[in-house]
Amino acid sequence: MAKKCPDYIQDLNDYLDGGMNPELCAEIESHIGECENCRIMIDSLRQTVTLCRDGSEEPLPEALDKRLSGLLRDRWKKKFGKQRGQDC
Amino acid sequence: MDEKQLVALARSGDFDAFARLIEANKQKMYGLVRRLAGNEQDAEDIMQESFLKAIDKIDQFRGEAAFGTWLSSIALNEARALYSKKRQSDLKPIEEYLPGSGSHGDDHQDSLRLFDWQYPHKMMESAELKSAVDEAIAELPYMYREAFLLRYIEELPVREVAELTNQSVASAKSRILRARLALRDRLSQVFEDRYGKKVS
Repeated sequence: MAKKCPDYIQDLNDYLDGGMNPELCAEIESHIGECENCRIMIDSLRQTVTLCRDGSEEPLPEALDKRLSGLLRDRWKKKFGKQRGQDC
Repeated sequence: MDEKQLVALARSGDFDAFARLIEANKQKMYGLVRRLAGNEQDAEDIMQESFLKAIDKIDQFRGEAAFGTWLSSIALNEARALYSKKRQSDLKPIEEYLPGSGSHGDDHQDSLRLFDWQYPHKMMESAELKSAVDEAIAELPYMYREAFLLRYIEELPVREVAELTNQSVASAKSRILRARLALRDRLSQVFEDRYGKKVS
């Protein structure tokens, strides 16, 4: 791996997520052109976030949803008593 | 009716207003909590405790933040309390994610090559890929998992991640980067085992 790779690693998120000054950004881009490992590192770090976002939708289980509704009503009643808007 | 009006009604004891606020936020919150928890049972416990705490504290909520943000901060406290009781390992230092910086010497040239992922979504079934990603996230020590999810799934700026996790901005930045590097490392192992061939 090229000599300067360790100098860049602390700044990789700024490079990938934006917010890096243009000079350092250009320096990293020039380095990636010459360093295969850093190119792979940056490409796979970018894909890491994409893959995590792709699978982040988790439907709330129906049974949990129902249980929570009941618990909330009970707790509300305990805190406020039977009040406006609560028909249980 | 907008959120501020619903919050005002909920604070005065209107259950329907509170239920509408929960309804608008519960799905998104579960997405975060499920991944924060790493397993379904803990996720259910955190959801339940968070919603009950939200009722207990609704009269203290002044609406400075969005209701969903306030609810998430309660869930984060619940998750942190749960995982602070469990022993957590730490991640290796940032520099050690670079090839050749670990225990291998220069004579182990093969270990100095990073595996090129190419296109994981084309190489693996989507269910298998999702499972690998979920497991890798769940393996992260809690404080790193939390920082990573807030930054990249909740898409919060680093400054807000720092506030929500009671860290300095520098510390939050470091946690986010280390989490990302550790996830990349773990997934790289999975992909290499699954479809890999070293880059030549």
